[in-house]
Parts: sequence; structure tokens; C-alpha cells
Amino acid sequence: MPPPLPPEAGRDAWEQAHEDALIRAREDDATPPRPPRPLIDACAVRLEPLWRHVFGMDLRRLWLGMRSPRGPLRAYYRAPCPRPATPWPAVEYLALDIEATGLDAETDEILSIGYVPIIEGRVRLAEAGYHLVRPRRPVPEETAVIHGILDGHLENAPRLSQVLPVVLQALAGRVPVAHHAHMERFFLSRACRRLYGQPLEMPFVDTMALEYRQLGGPDQPLAPGSLRLGRIRARRGLPRYPAHNALSDALATAELMLAQADALSRDRPARLAALLS
Amino acid sequence: MDVELIEIRDFLAGVHPFDLLAVEVLGEIAQALEIRYARRGTPLLVPGDRARFLYIVRTGAVETRDPQGELLARLGEGECFGVRALMHDGLALNHSHAIEDSLLYLLPAERFARLRQAHRQIDYYFAPQIGGRLPATSPAGQADPALGLMTVRVETMLGRAPVTLGPEAGVRDAARLMRDERVSCILVTEDNRLVGIFTDRDLRNRVVADGLGMATPLSRVMSKHPVGIDASASAFDALLMMSRHNIRHLPVMRGATLAGCLTTTNLIKTQATSAVYLVGDLHKQETAEGMRAVLSALPDLVRSLVDSGASAHNVGHIVSTLTDAATTRLVRLAEKALGPAPVPYVWAAAGSQARHEQTALSDQDNCLILDDAYDEAAHGAYFTAFTRRVCDGLALCGYAHCPGGTMAMAAPWRLPLARWRQLFQGWIDEPEPKALMLASIFFDLRPVAGPAALFGALQTPVLEQARGSRVFQALMAGNALTHQPPLGFFRNLVLVRGGSNANRLDLKHTGVVPIIDLARVHALAAGVRAVNTQDRLKACAEAGSLSAEGAANLREALAFLGFIRLRHQVRQIQDGQPVDNYVAPDSLSSFERAHLKDAFSVVKTMQSALAHTYQLGRF
Repeated sequence: MPPPLPPEAGRDAWEQAHEDALIRAREDDATPPRPPRPLIDACAVRLEPLWRHVFGMDLRRLWLGMRSPRGPLRAYYRAPCPRPATPWPAVEYLALDIEATGLDAETDEILSIGYVPIIEGRVRLAEAGYHLVRPRRPVPEETAVIHGILDGHLENAPRLSQVLPVVLQALAGRVPVAHHAHMERFFLSRACRRLYGQPLEMPFVDTMALEYRQLGGPDQPLAPGSLRLGRIRARRGLPRYPAHNALSDALATAELMLAQADALSRDRPARLAALLS
Repeated sequence: MDVELIEIRDFLAGVHPFDLLAVEVLGEIAQALEIRYARRGTPLLVPGDRARFLYIVRTGAVETRDPQGELLARLGEGECFGVRALMHDGLALNHSHAIEDSLLYLLPAERFARLRQAHRQIDYYFAPQIGGRLPATSPAGQADPALGLMTVRVETMLGRAPVTLGPEAGVRDAARLMRDERVSCILVTEDNRLVGIFTDRDLRNRVVADGLGMATPLSRVMSKHPVGIDASASAFDALLMMSRHNIRHLPVMRGATLAGCLTTTNLIKTQATSAVYLVGDLHKQETAEGMRAVLSALPDLVRSLVDSGASAHNVGHIVSTLTDAATTRLVRLAEKALGPAPVPYVWAAAGSQARHEQTALSDQDNCLILDDAYDEAAHGAYFTAFTRRVCDGLALCGYAHCPGGTMAMAAPWRLPLARWRQLFQGWIDEPEPKALMLASIFFDLRPVAGPAALFGALQTPVLEQARGSRVFQALMAGNALTHQPPLGFFRNLVLVRGGSNANRLDLKHTGVVPIIDLARVHALAAGVRAVNTQDRLKACAEAGSLSAEGAANLREALAFLGFIRLRHQVRQIQDGQPVDNYVAPDSLSSFERAHLKDAFSVVKTMQSALAHTYQLGRF
């Protein structure tokens, strides 16, 4: 678990904290904070660790799909999840990034979502998406200075209930990719739970974790900040993009994943399993 | 979906030729792109691959090599590749692979095609790569002679007020007025309005030939409602209008009022190059000093030629013609002083003068071919004195003595026909390095003074022998590869190292000379008589010793390099600096740099092809 942080420390600090946690401990320590759950889910939630161990992701997705109401989430679960043994370029991905009013998926709200798919090993900008989301409460100043999204920008923005179906459609059949994927994972799952009553369960490629492994994992000393998206990209000779725009960050993450996947491939392409967290 | 890919759009905005497009268009292109990552060593295009994209290097570097492994280009950030493959049946011709870890933007072929259709500037930029050709016109269009006329306004060409008469005036009065005013036409006006035009030709065809009386009013014989042109129009438009209507007189209007009449003579005067007068002046001179004074106008002439849009080819022709005139005049003066020559001879120019490629007063290269009746004992003294006079005269004019001594005044280069033939035969049969060096000078030979038949008696058999000796050609080909284009450039052009020319590009030896050498070898292989490089390339393409496409590419590369070099020299003339061939790349626009790379890559490709033809192995 990353140490708790005051919200004004911002996302960089949060990422930094996670990074420290990653370096100090193991990835599996960084499981989501347990939110209080509605009673209706209590049974399934209690069984979650067991599900995971016994039936794996596929069966759980099947189960969640069946429990989801008709609509976007069920449609999402219907799309088959790529098999881990597939060579990485044969899998479709969706690199995504979320900016929110804060860092707590339980209380904070999504303000913008940016995403761009990777198909046949190429980022496809034609299918990139960027959505502003109108929150229920005003944007707190301390996060507005980070992502630059102000209430004025959001006046005509759609609600999450209008945006989420679009995002789920883009995600269907694709593996999500994010840098420090916890945030995206929690926020999306929380959103699904709130709107459709079921969590979003999906295999994730986390470019931060991937970089951490490629740098040698826990045995290798790492300078603070060296797992930040911008730093990693600079090290890999990728261009500098402005941070904290959801689409820029999604694009930056997508390009980084291409470089990482390429580095993992030697004589033949690495398998999806090698990328997954 | 309206998605703003700002960082990609901004990147494109800094890349030529995309910088020529509006921001909105760049946004659309950004949205059409795909992004690919390639680790160092990753092949991107292999010959025969289906080309589906235009590639733009975002970061990293890519190398393109031909199927023989010869390096064609290195591309860095912001440079495009895969264009030729897109157009060549959609199949890649060359190998391209990443030589650094690279991030590449890929524009789908169909999108690229639409972009070219919608935006001429994009099409113009890529057209040379698509057709494998450089544009015939230089960036500012200077190579087009019509452009000189484009910049001249009609009103500046009007010498005098219009000569007018009323429609009731008789033809005799009109003829008298024309004689007195020394004009070839009368503008017929009524209430200050132009109603007709009466010309010399009308007088002949409509009055005299038809036997009309002297008092016939102009209104009966004039051309009614003549076409006119506005005073602010360009001379080019005027010329166009005259040729379209097949007329020689064009009334010029300033608004509703008549401003004057433009004639073909006006136009010719504007275009008449002072070169013609300079040639005339040279022939009037009695001394080399006098000729030197005439030739001192040469830098200005070159400058005005370049300014008025002459190509390097035109300038080379004009300057070499002046050298020819100076030479012929000096030859006449020598004969006048020493008496007529005892045996027939040909004064032949070698090198750039022979090729019609001089652009300034340069070192002289010449020789003398004597009739076989020449007898050393009887005639040697005459020709020693004769050649000495001419060569020294040329040196006085500003054509310095050749440092290598290839001049008619040197005994080895003043030979009877039979000896010349033996000499050439020797070079062809035993092509040692020295022989090859001399051959490359003396195979560019052109008679300046003397009987053409004598020169032909040397040239014809020599070309025949050269054409028949593949070994000689192969060695000449090897020689032609000594000077290479600076394809080692990477992100920038490789520059001359050290000295005062550090960081400058030697356009002559890395661009112009390799093309001249290539043209010579191909010409020898095809038995082409022409010596001018453009002419040689054209003739080789016609004879089939060079592909039409290859020849066209080389000619255009030469025209472009020649233009850049000449413009550089003209700037030096303007700044009062000594003229050289070293161009600083930052004095070129990015557009010109891109074209320069194209030109160099054409040279490189054609050198590889030559090496391949003669199995020269890797050079």
C-alpha cells in the first residue's frame, strides 16, 4: 500500500509514492484500497480472492458479465479477453489516462478521460478519444492547477453516465494500458460499480510496473522519480510531451508500451503475458 | 470525434513541407497518423514490401539502402521516407531500417494521396521523389527565362508618347508621320478614344497592294478595335497577348487613356543580353588589354543573367561563348602579327570551356591539333610563337595559365593529328592513372578556331576506339567515382573540414563534378560526340546507354546544383568577395537543403548504378 498523502500533494506525488512503494515492496502489495461495498455485492466480494485463484480472470469476467445489467458493461464483458499466450502485436490495446478531482477513487470524480488504441503494434490516432466529464461537485483548486481543467470548461461537458459507455465500447476486446494503472483501474471500476452495480475486471498493462521489471525489479537501486512517465520516455529517447492532459498522457503511455514491448521481444514478439501486470 | 492531438500537430508544423499547411489541416493529418516504434536494426521496408504508409521520422534515425546495399539516404527527425515506394506500384524498392531506436509517424497511403490532391505545395514537394525527379525549376522559379519578363511592367518599356491621328486622316499623312516619327504604327483615335491601329504592314497589304489612293481615310484601312493591354501588366502578359493574336503592336492603356504602343522590338530590347554586345566588342579589340577591359563586365553580366532568371546551363553557355570569342580574336590577332599559319590547325578548348560550362574567368585549358603536313623543323617556331601569343593573351584577359600545363603553348599539347591519335590510343590501351586523368580532360574537347574537318578526323576514330574498349570505360568509370556526394551527412550535410571553408559544402566536387564525370563515362560508352554535360546526358538517354529516367534525374540534379552554386557565386560577386564553390548550408532554406539532399541522392544512386554496370565492386 502506498502511504496516505494529503490531496494537495497532487498526482505526481501520488505516483511518486506508489513508485516508492513499488521499489520498496512487491507489486502485489499495491492492491486497491478496500472501499465500503453495497450489501448486494457483499457475497461476491467476499469470494473475490477465491474466484481469482480458482477460476482466473475469464470465469470471473463471465460471472460479472452475467451479473451486469443489460447495457454497456455487459456488452463489454461479452467481448472476449485476449489470451495471455498471444504474441503482443496480435492483441489490441487501449492506452488510457484519467484526470480526476483527486486521487481517491471512492470520493473523487473523473474529470477527463483520454485514450488511444494500439492495433497491430501501431498506435492508431484516428481512433483516439478525449472526453471531459462534468462532475457533481466543483473542481477543487489544488487539482485544477495540475490538470488545468476548470469548472468553466466543464459546463457543457457530458456526465460520466454518457461518457462511460463510449469508453467501455472502446475498451471491449482490448487490453487497457496505463502508466501507474492503479488509478485508471480504480476509477473505472468504481464508476462501473456506481453506474451498473458491478466492478470492471480486466487484465491491465501497467507501463510503470513494466519499466520497473525491465530495470531489474527490486534488486536494482532506483533513483527517486526515475519511474515517472516523462523520465522513462526521455531515457528511451521518446519525445517530450506535455503532462497532465489525459490524451497526451494516454498517447505518451501508448508509445512507451510499444518501446517496452519491443524491448521484451528478441527473436520473436513477446507474448501478452510478459506485458501484463 | 473532435480530438486535439496538439503535440503531434505542433511537430508537423515544424516539418517541411507540412509547415506550409494550415493548422486545421495539420490537425486532420495528425488524426490520420499511426505511430510505430522500431528498435535499432529493425527493418521497416524491404524491397517488394507493399508500401502502405508515408513514414515521418519523429525521433531516431533511419537508413535507406538500395538492393545492392549501397547507402542512399540517412533520415533524421522530421524527414520522410517511403514516398517512392508508395508510388512505385506500391512496392518498396529499397531497404529501410532503423539505425537508432526510432519513433515513426505513419500516414496511410490513401490519406497521403488525398493530401497531395488537395494541397499543391505538398504535391510539389513530393513530386520529385515520386517521379524520382527534381523539379525543372529552381525554388524561386529562377530557371524559367519567362520569369525575367514577369517582373518587368509594360509601362516601363514604353519609350515615347503615342503617335496618333484621327480616322479621317489620309494614308499619305499617316505614312509621313510614321517616317518623321520613326514609328511602325499609328494609333487611330477619336475623341481621345482608341478606335483603330494602322501599321507598316497595313500600308503594304491594304493600301499599296490593293492600289488604294493616297487620300484613303485611315478609318477604311485600319484594324478596328485593336486589343490593348493595361500599363501595369507584365511584359510576359504582353508577349503572351501578342503571340496569341499574332500581332506585333500592342496599344497600352492607362485606365481609359492611351499610354503608348508596345512593339516586339521593345520586348527584344529588354531581353537582349548584353552578352551579344560583349562578343561584338571583343571582336573589335586590337589588344589583349582591350579585351580584358571588355571582359571586366563579365561578373556583372553573370549577375544580371542570374537575376533575370538564367539557368546555370544558360550562363555556362554564354560565358563560354565569350571565352570562345576572346580566343578566336586572339587567334586572329596572332595570325595578323605572325602571318598566316604554314599548315592548317585547330585551336581546341578542353575542360569547362569545351563543355560550355564556364561560369567565370577560369584557368585556360586548350590544345592545338595540327595538320599532318606539319614539320617540326619548318613550322615549329611559328606555332611556338603563335600559341605563346594566344595563351599569354588569354592570361592577360584573365584566363590564367593552366597550372597543370594543359595549354597549346606547351609542346606536348601542340601535335599533328597522327600524334594526337596515337596519344589517345595510348590512353585507351594503357589506362594508367595519369592517362585517365588526361583522358578526362581531353575527352572534353571542342574546336574553337580552325577547320571542323580536321577536328573530326581526330574525334571520330578516338570515340570509336573508346567505345570499343570496355576496360578503358571501366577504368574511367572507376575514376568517375572518386568524387562522391556527401551522403555521410546526417541531419546535416557533411561539410568541408578545417581551413577557412570549415562547415561549408563543396558543391563543385561533391555535386557538379561527379555528374560531369558520370556523363563523360556514359557518353564514351555510347560514342556520343557532345561534350556539354546536359547534352551528353540527353544524347546518352537517346542512345540508350543511360535510362531516360536516370538521365533526366541527373540533368535536373545538375541544374539544381548549378543554380545553387551560381547564386552563391553571384552573392560573392555582389559582396566583392573572391568567388568559390563553398556554400554554407545555413545560407540555404530548408526547402533547398531538402532538394540538395535529393540531388545528392540522385548522384549517389547513379554512381552505384555505374559501379554495378562495370562490376566495380563496392567503392
